[in-house]
Amino acid sequence: MENMDLESKSVHRDFVLPVDSEDKATKFRVYSVSAPHMRAFHLSWISFFACFVSTFAAPPLVPIIRDNLDLTATDIGNAGIAAVSGAVFGRIAMGIACDLFGSRLASSALILLTAPAVFLTSIANSAVSFLLVRFFTGFSLATFVSTQFWMSSMFSAKVVGTANGIAGGWGNLGGGATQLIMPLVFSLIHKIGATPFTAWRIAFFIPALFQALSAYAVFFFGQDMPDGDYAKLHKSGEKHKDNISDVLYHAVTNYRGWILALTYGYCFGVELTVDNIIAQYFFDRFNVNLHTAGIIAASFGLANLFSRPGGGTLSDIMAKRFGMRGRLWALWIMQTLGGLLCVLLGKVESLSGSIAVMLVFSVFCQAACGLTFGVVPFVSRRSLGIISGMTGGGGNIGAVLTQVIFFRGTRYSTETGITYMGIMIICCTLPIMFIYFPQWGGMFYGPSSKGLTEEDYYMKEWSLKEKENGFHQSSMKFAGNSTSERGKKVESAPTPIDGTPNT
Amino acid sequence: VFSCFEITAYGALFSSLHQTLILNSSTSQGQVLQAGEGQVTITWSLNKNYPTGTDSNYKIVKVKLCYAPMSQLDRGWRKSNDNLNKDKTCQFNVVTKPYKPLNNNFTWTIEKDVPSASYFIRAYVYDYVGEVVAFGQTTDSHKKTNLFQITAITGRHVAINVCAACFSAFSVISLIGFYLVEKRKGKSLRR
Repeated sequence: MENMDLESKSVHRDFVLPVDSEDKATKFRVYSVSAPHMRAFHLSWISFFACFVSTFAAPPLVPIIRDNLDLTATDIGNAGIAAVSGAVFGRIAMGIACDLFGSRLASSALILLTAPAVFLTSIANSAVSFLLVRFFTGFSLATFVSTQFWMSSMFSAKVVGTANGIAGGWGNLGGGATQLIMPLVFSLIHKIGATPFTAWRIAFFIPALFQALSAYAVFFFGQDMPDGDYAKLHKSGEKHKDNISDVLYHAVTNYRGWILALTYGYCFGVELTVDNIIAQYFFDRFNVNLHTAGIIAASFGLANLFSRPGGGTLSDIMAKRFGMRGRLWALWIMQTLGGLLCVLLGKVESLSGSIAVMLVFSVFCQAACGLTFGVVPFVSRRSLGIISGMTGGGGNIGAVLTQVIFFRGTRYSTETGITYMGIMIICCTLPIMFIYFPQWGGMFYGPSSKGLTEEDYYMKEWSLKEKENGFHQSSMKFAGNSTSERGKKVESAPTPIDGTPNT
Repeated sequence: VFSCFEITAYGALFSSLHQTLILNSSTSQGQVLQAGEGQVTITWSLNKNYPTGTDSNYKIVKVKLCYAPMSQLDRGWRKSNDNLNKDKTCQFNVVTKPYKPLNNNFTWTIEKDVPSASYFIRAYVYDYVGEVVAFGQTTDSHKKTNLFQITAITGRHVAINVCAACFSAFSVISLIGFYLVEKRKGKSLRR
């Protein structure tokens, strides 16, 4: 099974963390940087963070940029839409690229290819060039998929939710941190002596360099899987290469993936929209200065430190007691409450009230993101990468839609747009009620009376011929492990055929 | 402190102000000036047609650069509002001077952070407690006449252009380098 001429990365080496049979870590120790597991975690969240910083570096400086480039409200809105639309397809493509090339190469390549867009932002001189640089910079948000994929390769089922939630949440932090960093860098450069219209340009070199350096770090210090990189594993036959068109088919024909793509657009998509508009909103409506607007806007994104991971953890806690039905209810409740708070945010007239409502809103909105990815891993086993990519892409579509409808030009004032966005969140969260797993149930219905099992559900993705060839084995293992999604109440669950105990 | 809050919260209405100052600028209709270089000379005096004693409570004059309506289109952050606390028409301070009925003038070099737009000049007069009591402006009441243009600086410098281009090129070249390294690694595994 092993190649004898392997370099130092041998299959039987000792890992610092305890591992399972696939060498995936079974424990998550956030303070460790041990290779390969925790190192992969830190590399992936930091590089994703850098991409978020770059993508949302412009919004806090828009009050300066709009004067330098003579932008209209429509130009600004279009650029904001462009920033989040590239990643719609980028995320789906990244899912496929990770499958083919591994997270390390796919993400470092994308990050390095989008770094020039950030460097070139400093020489933008018109509405068109501004839109183009924001568009190309936004592609870097596809690293979300490689982050989640990398974590799923490195961490076992028990901790993958935590790893995914923290990696995703801490990466999203970049959207908040940038609202603090950019005004700070700008004012430093301005104090040193540059005029405002030059200072913002120089400021963009900071996120650009950070992004490029993180790509180098991923390339040199990262590793695709616990046992080595893809190229090596494919050669040795340890990893079976699945058929891309089959994987695509099973992703696209699963209606649950589409519903989650829609609803993710109204938690994560809304988060992206708010990242784009909130600094300018506080600057213009409440007359705070650039620095203060940045701090307020930052606190929205900074809640990601605990709120998204918290959502993931809440999903796991609900699942222990109520199974998948609990995950779905928690997601619907949290996201709908987020929508109500969004409606309220547009209506509040005072500065302190707005800040307070915004902070509570951020917690619910981001928790809903974490809760969504508590359900996603169970929608499909064979097509997990593409379902994740579709959901992620759907998030960006939501951002595009809300900005096109409510925040472009001067049709609605920003506060009215925010309220209407809240109403749209509530409406577009309702489809969660239609998600039904025959083996576990949905929000309003229990599991099917026909007694369908997890295996029945996951084996539907494999043809008879594929089963004869044994390609379905990992799905079988997963089916066995996922009986915990029935919740505590069901005692006499039919056991999996191969009788393997839950790992 | 409280009286300050009272006044600012109250907010004078522009429509309630009398245009008692006559304001003139050296610019002509449609003239284009460069930010950072161009100069505007402004003169103002009290309009003699108003009864004597009108200016008894005038203390300070603040002269400002204001956006013309065409530069406010689709730009909500420059919107005019009758409530002067919410009004965003005049965002740049030219000069603040004590009030004198005659012989006021000032030559202003346009600052480097002024955006490209159409402008006029307006002066607000404040009384002893800091409340706005009067104004004067270089254009008519519809803000259509005697407007001038300012062209902003680009903010770009050769150094920035060069650095941006170099770093971008380096990112792409290093990526190609990585790709070649990986390919070579793949080849050596196959042997």
